[in-house]
Amino acid sequence: MQFLQALVDGVLIGGVYGVISIGLSLVFGVMNIVNFAHAAFLMLGMFVAWFAWHYLGLDPLLGAFLSFAVIFVFGCGVQRTLIRPILKAPQVAQIFLTVGILIVLENAALLVFGADFRSVQTPYQTSAFDIGGIIVSKPYLYAFAMALLSGAAVWAFLERTPIGRAMRATSQDPMAATLMGIDTNLMHMTAFGIGVGLTAFGGAVILPYLTASPTVGAHYVVLMFTAVVLGGLGSVAGAVVGGVAVGIIQSLSTLVFPIQLQNLILFVVFILVLALRPEGIVKRRAA
Amino acid sequence: MRYTRRFETSRRAVLAGGAAAIAAPFVSRLARAQDPVNVGVIVPLSGANAQFGINSRNGIQLVADEINAAGGIKSLGGAPINLVIADSTSTPTTAASVAQRMISQNQVVAVLGAFASSLTIAISEVTERRRLPLLTMSFSDIVTGRGFNYVFQVVNKGSTIGAAQFDYTMEIAKRVDVEADKVAILYEDTAYGTSQAEGLRKAATEHGAEIVMDSAYPLGITDVTPLINQLRGSGAQLVFPVSYLNDSLLIVRTMRQQGLTIPAIGGAAGYVIPDFHKGLGELSEGVLSIAPANYDLAPDYTERFRERFGYFMVHEALEHAAAMGVLREALEKSASRDPETIRNEIATGTHNEGWSTVMTGDGIRFDESGLNVNAFPVMVQWRGSELVTVHPADVARSEPVWSVETGQ
Amino acid sequence: MAAASRTEASRRPDWRALALAAAFVAAIAVPLFLDPQGYWIRILTLALIFAALGQAWNIVGGLANQISLGHAAYFGTGAYASTVLLIHFGLSPWIGMVAGMALAVVIALVLSVPTFRLKGHYFALATLAAGEAMRVIANSWKEVTGGPVGLSVPFTPEDSFWLMAYGAPRPFYWIALGALAVITVVFWRIKSGALGYRLRAVKENEEAAEVVGVNTFRAKLWASLISAAATAAMGTIYVQFNYFFDPDTVFGVASISIRMALVAIVGGIGTVIGPIVGALVVIPLEEVASAALQGQAAGLSAFAYGAILIAIILIEPRGLVALWQRLRGRMSRRAP
Repeated sequence: MQFLQALVDGVLIGGVYGVISIGLSLVFGVMNIVNFAHAAFLMLGMFVAWFAWHYLGLDPLLGAFLSFAVIFVFGCGVQRTLIRPILKAPQVAQIFLTVGILIVLENAALLVFGADFRSVQTPYQTSAFDIGGIIVSKPYLYAFAMALLSGAAVWAFLERTPIGRAMRATSQDPMAATLMGIDTNLMHMTAFGIGVGLTAFGGAVILPYLTASPTVGAHYVVLMFTAVVLGGLGSVAGAVVGGVAVGIIQSLSTLVFPIQLQNLILFVVFILVLALRPEGIVKRRAA
Repeated sequence: MRYTRRFETSRRAVLAGGAAAIAAPFVSRLARAQDPVNVGVIVPLSGANAQFGINSRNGIQLVADEINAAGGIKSLGGAPINLVIADSTSTPTTAASVAQRMISQNQVVAVLGAFASSLTIAISEVTERRRLPLLTMSFSDIVTGRGFNYVFQVVNKGSTIGAAQFDYTMEIAKRVDVEADKVAILYEDTAYGTSQAEGLRKAATEHGAEIVMDSAYPLGITDVTPLINQLRGSGAQLVFPVSYLNDSLLIVRTMRQQGLTIPAIGGAAGYVIPDFHKGLGELSEGVLSIAPANYDLAPDYTERFRERFGYFMVHEALEHAAAMGVLREALEKSASRDPETIRNEIATGTHNEGWSTVMTGDGIRFDESGLNVNAFPVMVQWRGSELVTVHPADVARSEPVWSVETGQ
Repeated sequence: MAAASRTEASRRPDWRALALAAAFVAAIAVPLFLDPQGYWIRILTLALIFAALGQAWNIVGGLANQISLGHAAYFGTGAYASTVLLIHFGLSPWIGMVAGMALAVVIALVLSVPTFRLKGHYFALATLAAGEAMRVIANSWKEVTGGPVGLSVPFTPEDSFWLMAYGAPRPFYWIALGALAVITVVFWRIKSGALGYRLRAVKENEEAAEVVGVNTFRAKLWASLISAAATAAMGTIYVQFNYFFDPDTVFGVASISIRMALVAIVGGIGTVIGPIVGALVVIPLEEVASAALQGQAAGLSAFAYGAILIAIILIEPRGLVALWQRLRGRMSRRAP
């Protein structure tokens, strides 16, 4: 029973980790960049949804679409002005550029929004379904459902639309894609926009149970990377699997170990998985 | 050789430029007729603790502006207070560097700050060696536990506050005839959480209560479900969470989701700021929390804060304001700009004028270690969007309310 | 590529070594002109400590292009080892430093097993997780580390070389300078020696290196053990200098792991003077941003610092040394 409860909790929380990680994985897959600033876009998405709730009375689950739209546009701008010039630069330079973006975004948020902790009040955030003694938290369940929905949408976009196919082509072989007449610059920009927009969407759907503040993203940086690497860098489906895996490991570990060591267990599993299966749990499909 | 010379020049240019940037405002101030008294304020203005740092700065700013409006420090010929405010960030090393900078470049007579214990301790290592008074509201037992001579803690130690969190709760429970001897302690694994939990644990053991759960959780936790699952299974009748805001809201909401109605008695920090009520709405009604001081005990003063900044005077603002009050008295009485003389006045005097009186107790007096011996913590309770002092009875503004509905 | 730089090195090795040695001698004299307890000597000392850390990181990050984001694991190990030995056994931090280095070598050995097969981003992220794991351990293992409350280096009223205890920053300046000199020489020797050659082979193409008979695992292992030991030693010096630390201070991702790599990249990774230039720019830059904007809106100084970092990397992703060479190249081309 206890085990089942922990498993359910882990899957629910993990689904959300999965969605905020899809964007990171997508950016990596298409541009081969490790984006440390990604968590800052999660924070921005939370703020957009909070303002939509505060001024328009929009539930964050719906505000999430607005978060996606706003941050998509913003992300395209960031990619165009800051990321594009260093796409061919050494890997370390790319990492530190994104660290710089993280510092700038965090402190810009502090300057513009202030340091208050902002949270929303919704009718469902303090209630749960009781299914045969298993408690299923409503905000977690809704966030999980929205997360899967957006994950499926991205998957369909990549698989079924011409732009999605062009984007995948770009990620697999930029040179060939260029020869085929694909505008790889445009693809990079769109992929980055969708990637950070999706993370912003994820930020919005978790707002009913979390609090927005300029530094909230910091708590997710390592979790997101863990999810993405466990699933296999660059894979959309893998990110979801990786996210769920992270959620389950976190949740189950507390049955045996003190919760203080939750992340230690996670990191050990992470390093072991890397050592044994460097390509992640889900093997990336061959080109 | 050319390479080295260029490199050296450029470095010197950086240094000179930096020094000029820092010295510029100071030089222009020197040119004025009346020399202001420079007071260093080091608080986290960025990073996770920014809100608390900004609140602290607001409290000090208010007092300094009032002093200047009333004609400055009279015994120094009406010298105004000039606050030198700097961001400690969340890194102790940076906080220490900032302290060093204030001492050498700004010639401050004292330093106030820095909210987080780790930052204050790092600063105190510098101020102690440079023989400069440091006034703080950080809780950690270590602050005044090292035998330092130049550090002054205007609040109780973390362990004292933790013990009061437990003892007061038991006293209130007794008053309303509620039995509770199975308790749970949840705390974040920071210096603040750890030292306060220590006090709680000790008080509970002395009281003979059974601690059915005693759990530290990582700072920045984003999901407390496992913790609340465990709490539900523990059979606790009371829970003492020691946490900042995000975890406070998570804990209260998740308890509600699971239909857990045992009272949660907060450990200051996240439980006593306006955002707690804003985040929980009516769920915050009746929540009890320990606090090192509360604004409703000195409304004449603290309402001036609300008028200016638009929210009630949170405890870190209040305690930093009290620290500034102590410094004003020490400057006035010693009629000196010499840090050593000012330190002696702070250490030996009783400070009971103006803003020094906003703390609990009859004015502020420090013992040999630099701890304010007059202060005592209070129990506060949420009523609407206000915090009301409900215990101890002799200072309480209202009777505590205890029921399952409002107790949590 | 390797051949070209080697001929270059053999053509004028003494020139560069002499220049650096002269700078070192000049640097020894610098504190004599500054207030021994002052602010600038403190900032310069911090810059030297981070220069040394950047140099230590450079051994694996620069020469072998193994981008480690978890060097705080070694740094914190050095910090805790010497301080715990000092507090409980009164052992000199100099001895504690050696113990910390040994412990860091053991940790590096253990970590090498799962991480050395990893390439590029995977290696970076695995090391990031390893550093974080150490922070969690330090936070929860209260009996030894004091937990999140942190540790204070015991206060000694008298200055003492044996206890590495000084009331003023000045002696630490010289200690940090000495450490920087030692690590720089080590780096230089590795770079111009056989190990450096093997590491460069790893950097260029690991498979190809294997094929021609380079034991890449052993090369990487040696580099990472030396780097770990040097980082741990700096951990000891750093906490003796700061008197107080907690797990977030010494195992921090942003405050240590990323910063030591940042110093190397801003200067120019893989070069001898890159980390030194980087540290002398990055650390004072943070201070100048903070000092110039102190008292302004919350977050403004950190914002400015981040913006300048972005600008530096956008202008020259290979660092300031490369920028300097580019500018010099342009100037000499214009000159008649």
